[in-house]
Parts: sequence; C-alpha cells; structure tokens
Amino acid sequence: MIDLNERFIEKRSFFNRLIIVYAFFGFAFSFFLYQTYSLQVSEYSEYETAAIENKTKEVLVQPIRGIIYDRSGKIIVNNVPTYDLIIRPSKIRSIENFLSEISLIINLNSDELNYVKENFDLKARYNRELVVKKNLSKEEIARFEVRSYKFPNTFIDVRYSRHNNYPKLFSHAVGYVGGVSNDELINILDSQKLPQIETIFKYSNGFQIGKTGLESTYDDLLRGKFGRKIYEVNAVGRLLDERQFIKPINGENIFTTLDIDVQKVAYDQMDNRRGAVVAVEIDTGSIVSYVSTPSFSTNAISNGISSSEFNTLIKDKNKPFFDRASQGRYSPASTIKPAIGLFGLENNIIDWDFSLDDPGYFILPEDQRVYRGWREGGHGKVNLNKAMIVSSNTFFFSLAYQSDIYKLIDYLSNFGFGANVCADCFNPDKGLLPTPEWKMNNLNFGWYKGDTVNLGVGQGYLSATPLQLAYYSSVLANKGESKDLSFVFDKTDLKNSYIKSQNISDLDWKKLHQSMIGVIDSPIGTAKRLQELKKYIVAAKSGTVELVSTETKEDYKIIRENEGNRDHAIIIAFGPMPNPKYAVSVVIENGESGGSVAGPVAIAVLNSLLDK
Amino acid sequence: MKKELIFKNFSVYFDHYLFISITLLSVMGLFFLYSASHGDLNSVIKQSIFVGFGLCLMLILSQPDPDFYKLFSSLFIILSIALMFATMIFGKEINGAKRWLNFGFFTLQTSEIIKIALPIFLASYLYNKPLPISTKHTFITLALICFVFYLVYSQPDLGTGLVVFMAGVYILFLAGLSWKFIFTSFGLVVLSLPFLWNNFLEPFQRQRILTFIDPSNDPYGSSWNITQSKIAIGSGGMSGKGYQEGSQANLNFLPEAETDFIFAVIAEEFGFVGICILLAFFFFILLRCLYLAFNARDRFCRLTIGGLSLVFASTLFINLGMVVGIIPVVGMPMPFISKGGSSLLSFYIAFGIIISMATHKKLMQK
Repeated sequence: MIDLNERFIEKRSFFNRLIIVYAFFGFAFSFFLYQTYSLQVSEYSEYETAAIENKTKEVLVQPIRGIIYDRSGKIIVNNVPTYDLIIRPSKIRSIENFLSEISLIINLNSDELNYVKENFDLKARYNRELVVKKNLSKEEIARFEVRSYKFPNTFIDVRYSRHNNYPKLFSHAVGYVGGVSNDELINILDSQKLPQIETIFKYSNGFQIGKTGLESTYDDLLRGKFGRKIYEVNAVGRLLDERQFIKPINGENIFTTLDIDVQKVAYDQMDNRRGAVVAVEIDTGSIVSYVSTPSFSTNAISNGISSSEFNTLIKDKNKPFFDRASQGRYSPASTIKPAIGLFGLENNIIDWDFSLDDPGYFILPEDQRVYRGWREGGHGKVNLNKAMIVSSNTFFFSLAYQSDIYKLIDYLSNFGFGANVCADCFNPDKGLLPTPEWKMNNLNFGWYKGDTVNLGVGQGYLSATPLQLAYYSSVLANKGESKDLSFVFDKTDLKNSYIKSQNISDLDWKKLHQSMIGVIDSPIGTAKRLQELKKYIVAAKSGTVELVSTETKEDYKIIRENEGNRDHAIIIAFGPMPNPKYAVSVVIENGESGGSVAGPVAIAVLNSLLDK
Repeated sequence: MKKELIFKNFSVYFDHYLFISITLLSVMGLFFLYSASHGDLNSVIKQSIFVGFGLCLMLILSQPDPDFYKLFSSLFIILSIALMFATMIFGKEINGAKRWLNFGFFTLQTSEIIKIALPIFLASYLYNKPLPISTKHTFITLALICFVFYLVYSQPDLGTGLVVFMAGVYILFLAGLSWKFIFTSFGLVVLSLPFLWNNFLEPFQRQRILTFIDPSNDPYGSSWNITQSKIAIGSGGMSGKGYQEGSQANLNFLPEAETDFIFAVIAEEFGFVGICILLAFFFFILLRCLYLAFNARDRFCRLTIGGLSLVFASTLFINLGMVVGIIPVVGMPMPFISKGGSSLLSFYIAFGIIISMATHKKLMQK
C-alpha cells in the first residue's frame, strides 16, 4: 500500500497531468471553434453560393425559330407542330404494365418499345421526361385523349419541325437547318451568357441551327434566345421542384425580298438544267429571285432523310447542293462588252462614230496570233452600237488591245467583278478579276498583250458568279450607280457606289442602253429570237462561254459530242426600258447559246416581274 | 451539493448535473436526427428507445460501489475481448468491415464496449502501483493496449482503434507514466512514422490523409464528403437556415448525415449560434467530469473518471475535427447525437460508471 505522503504526491501528479490533457483539449476545441467561425462567418457568402449552386439546376428552354416570309408576306419557311406522346418515368411504377396498356391505344413499333425500355430507368432516376412516340396521327391523339384519365403521368405535347412550303424553290436562297454540334451549341450559349447545355427541345429533331442560305446568315435573329427553367435538384441530379421559369424569346421573323411567284417562274424555266438565275430590284438592290438548279428538298435535309437518298443527292453528278448562283464561276463572255465599250468611251479610245472593218478575226500585231469572232467572215464595218448588237469580237479585241490593263481592271472592278456584291448571301464567291500580279503568282507566267485582248470579250481568266452578273446588269441599268445586293428590306448598311467618270454623259448611257435594246429588237441582234417572247422593252447582252477553244465550226461539232464541253449560255438583261426596274442574269451550263437558250429564261422572269 | 437521493431507507446514487445535461443532449440528438433523416420517424423512435434504455442503464450503473467495478474489471475486459473474438468469427460484414455482432433485436458494435472496459481495467491494474510506474508495468500495460488496439484496428476500424488506444494511454499517463519514457517513446514514434505509413495504413486510409492535406486532390473522390460538409456548415452562417431547412442535408448532398456528419446538419440549420449552445452542453459535461475527478474518493476512481471523460472528449473532438476538416476523415460518431445504438450505449455506460465513482463515499476515508 501507498502511504499518505505518496498518496499526496500521486494526487498532485494526477491533477497536473489531467489539467495538461484538458488544456490540450481546450486548445483543440478552440481551434475547432475558430475553424467553424471562419466557415460560418468569415467565409459565409462563398459557402452560401456553393450550397445554392449545389441545389439548383438550370435547364434551357429552346425558343421557336423565326418565320421566313417572301416580299408579299407569304410564308416561305414555317414551324410545323407535331404531337408527341411523352411520359414522366419517375411517376410510373411499372413500365411493362404501362407499355402493354398504352399499346392497346397507340401502336408502338419495336424500335420505339426498345427506346422506351432502355431509357426508362435513367429518366426516372433524374425525373426527366421521356418521348414514347413522335408525330402522332390525329386518330391516335383522339384515341389517347378520351382515355387520358387512365394515364395520369402521360401527356401529349407539341414539338415542331422546320418546314419549307416550297422546299425545292428556295433550297439555295433560304437554305436548310440541321442539328447543332456540341461546339456550335457551346458558342451559342456563350453568346447568350448561358453555362448549361441540357436543353428542353422544342424541335422534334433537337436544337437546330441554320446551315446554309438565309437560315445561316440570319441564324442569330431567327434563333431567338433560350429561356431557362430553374429546378431544385438533389445530390444525384434528380429534378425536384421547378423554382423559376424564364420564358424563351422566340426568334425574329425575316421578311425577305424574294418573290415566290417569280422564283417559281425562274425555277420552272430552268427545267432542271444546270445553271442559275438571279433577279434584282435595281433601286433597292434587293434580290427578288435567286435560283440554282438542279435543286433538292430542304425539308428532307432539315427533318431527316434516309442515308441512301442522301447518298444519291451527294453523288449526283449535277451537284444539286452546289449553289451555282453565288459560288459558280463562269466567264462573262460577251456580256462584258458593254463595260469594255464604256471603258473605251471614258478613255477616249473610241467614240460612237468610230468604226472599223470586222473581217471575223483580229490579229495580234506582236505575235501574229489570230483571235476569232463567232461569225466566219465577220460583220463588215462596225461601230460601237453595231458591235454590241451583233457582238463583234474583232471590235472589242481591238479596243482592248489599245487599253492599259491596269486601268481596265480598275474600271471593271466598278461593276462588282472580283468583289463581294451581296450583304447577306451565304458564302458568296468573289469570282476572279485577273491582274498581271495574280497571273505571275498563280500561273508563273507574265501578262501577255493577248490576255488583255481576251479580257475584251470576257474570256480568259476573268470569271464571275451569276450573282455578280446580276449586280453588273443592275449597274449598267442604273447608269453606273448601284447598291449592294441583299435579301431583306431596310438593310441599313448596304454599300452605295457609283462610277466616277469624266467623259461619259447621260447620252452615252442612253446610247448604250439603246444598243442593248438592239440586241433583242434589231433584226441582226444576237438575241432577236426573244422579240416574240418579251412583253416589255428589254435591254440585254448575251454571251456564249467557250469551254474548249476551237478554230472552226467543224471542230466544235466534234467536241460538242461531249455535253460537258459545250459552251455555257449566259445573258444579262434589264427592263422595262427606258426606266428599268429589274435586272436579271441567267447562266445555263453547256446551254450553248446565250441569246436563244438563256435568253427565254431571262425574258420570262422579267415578264413575270413586270406583270405585277 | 447532493450526491445521493434518499428515498426512505433506500439511497439512489445520482449526479443531477450530468444526468440533466446528458438527458438534454440526448433529446436534442433525437430532434436533430429527425431532421437529418428527412423526417424518418422510424429511426427516431428506434433511437429514442436506445436513449430511454441508455438513461436507465446509466442510472442502474451508477448504483454499485466503485469497488464492484474494481473487482470485476478483469471479468469485463475478458468478456469484451471474448466479444471481439466472437465478432471476428460470427460478425456481420458491412462494406468490408466486420464490426458488428447481431443479437436479433440489436446489433452491437463490440469495439464500443472495449473502449470502456479497457480504461476501467487499466485503472484497476495501475491504481496501486507506486510512482512513477515501473518499466515492467508500463510494458505490460502497453502490450495490452496494443493487443486491444490491434483487435479493433483489424476489423478494420482505425477511428475506434485510435480512441481505444488513446483511452489506454490516458490511464497510463494519468497513473504516472514516467516522463523519461514519454519523451523516449515519442521520439521513437516520430522516427517510425514512415514505417507505419507504409505498413499499417490501408491504401484508402493513406488516400484520406493525403486528401486531407490537399483537398483539391479529388473533389468527387474521398474529399467529396468533407467538401459537402464544409458547404453545409459554411452555408449555415451565423444563425442557420432553420430546422429542416438545410438543403445540403435534405437534398442528400451531405453524406452520412445521420451518423458521422450530423454536426454539419446542425451547423447548417442552426448556425454558429446554435452550435455554440450545443457545445456549451458538452463543455459543461467535460468540466463537470474534471471537477468530479478532482473530488473522487480514491486513485482508482480518479483514474477511471479522468480516463473515461477523456475518451468522451477524444471521441467528440475527432468527430467535430473531421466534420470541419481539421483532421482526416476517420469515421467517428458524435457522442449522444449521432444515430447508432452501440456508441450511444457505450457513453451511457461510461457516464453511469463515472457517476458511481463520483457519488460513492468511502466509509473508511475522512
């Protein structure tokens, strides 16, 4: 046993040691309280935010895309509602029972049954909706509605598909929509300052964005702004209460300058031949008709198409997807002659009285090379007026020969060659306005005098799109003044331009117009066959684009055996004269004759425009 | 200060400070549990049966004279060790851990019992050893501590194992372990830490410690719990979100909300003010134990009260420290509050014994 003294020492040692341990815990708990204080008081707002972020989830609600109208207010593209059968899996106890009961009312095929079975559990866990069947028929809707009391967690909701009322007429002008890629969607959400990508779809094929044409260039406006549904969620991401609904702002409607009737005339006139028609209103620069043929159905592309049909379209050698109107490059050929003539007048190389003898060819003095006209034997004595009417190559070869290439290129650029002339076209090509530098850089050859001579008749390296040719046509019609082309009214930022000239008077323009009227009205005009088709006085200039250079008509007969070698037919026209309102360009690939093949299309389009 | 309630000739040993504060804590625990379990009345009823039973047990265990515990302490520890072995053989495996013995109506976590039995036994073994404790007795004691620790640790249950280990060490220290030994072994432990790290810790335990040091390591892995716990506590702010209004707990962001992380639920719903009030009860109990230890009748009682109160303090601190992220996650219930019968009962037993030690006067003394 321990004695009293030891007992006292023991007691004191125990007290000291217990106090030491208690002190340690006192320190530990103080530290704990300090930590709790910093979490709850000093850093409160951070943790409060974190807790709110934890428990809320925003689901985006898709806006409805804007409607696209024609110039008279008729709908071109609309959203067509379809009715889908939708369930709330989290509130349905047995999917097997549900499917056997609903199958009695609405027929489900094996794909639909499998889709529902595969996705049921996942959607139930997160409390999401599940689409059982898309695009119900009217009978199915009626059968469901009368029995809907049996299916408390099942409902029919409207979904939309993008529908073009004239799917082939506007396939290139208006274009089509398609599913959005993840990256594209992230960009769109960033632009609307939205972080999430889970979306309630309003479209039966998910969120759609414009892929081509106006659907693409005006996608920002048509698209609208996402709305948001803010839900409370639990830790596994299941949606609980809906806390807030910020409605989406539907897309803006677009009122285009396109005219359905004229578009239809142009499309029918093209009759599936390869080519393009562009018609513009001269005063406003607005595009009235924009056709590229052959075409395809935008509805099939926007809302689903079988892969075999798609492959047929892709492999079609006539390339229906190719937008010839703004991306097809064609030599302007003889349609360039009015501009060359104006250049000659401006630079005092010629005047209206100047004439020369056209033997049917032009010999380049430098190397004795022969440049031929279209007519063997030539046109005899020609001045500018006659050269335009009969389309004398010799006259313009000679004129170009006397021209300074840089001045000529600069002058041609006034007419939109080598430039973008459209404010809202989808991916327009600029064509090519060749310069000596361009030739050296790209072909590794210096510029020959012969190149300038060829330029005088629109052959050689110069190329333009039908869209540029329509612009060119409207510049000629409007006596050098022009506005950039556009598909919508009231586009405020359209570029105005006019050709600065010192030597060209209003009289010169009138004479030029007169000679272009003569192209159709004169008995020797290259497009005289159009006389019986036209209802109004129309100025025009036809062209025939040589794809293969031949010496004689016999040679051409051989090469035209292959359709792809035949000349392109091309025409620019405007009317009614003397105060033209509309300008048109038509290109028909391998159509051979500008006047008699492309011409009737241009006249029909102008007739239908002016009949209004 | 009354230490006995006298009913006619029959006296009931009773410390109303401890009894009232423990009862209040237990009732508050039920109230918190109702919220943490999203209003699951069943688990609250089950827990309240434990509380009622535990309070009675505490009262009953206060009655025997401390000599009874001294006398039977070896039996207690042998029985507890036998239970541990039984657990090893017949135990119920949950999530890869074998910690529970199924008695049909009640599943007992046996390590909770040995957590009490070990310090009582060591107190009865060391109370008559002269100061400072000799090397021989120190090693015998340490061997027993390590043996018991290993039994718990191998279940595996590192958290309870550490508390059991500390319980033993507290008694040894309070009984008068020589300072020389303390400093020497402390040095050795520090030197052997790398060895322990590599050989004694399971990979998931190492990961927990690593994430504790750098929580940004894996936000959805082992630090998910602690991240969510901190959000719950922090978002409670000064005055809390209100009873049953805690979104972290109600929407299941907080893991183990009814058991290990119940403090986070309380902090979220009642704020800093609420937890200060709650902690005041705990601190009051600890200080009361300190007072009782100082006034205990003999060395055995002193050691037992001191040791058991420190077990209580350690459990509380490990739980709280883990929940606020100042120590790694080891899995430790909050005394009297967390759901779970074994831990609850072990502390009623501990306080029953503490009250017995504090209230019985030695007839010979004074």
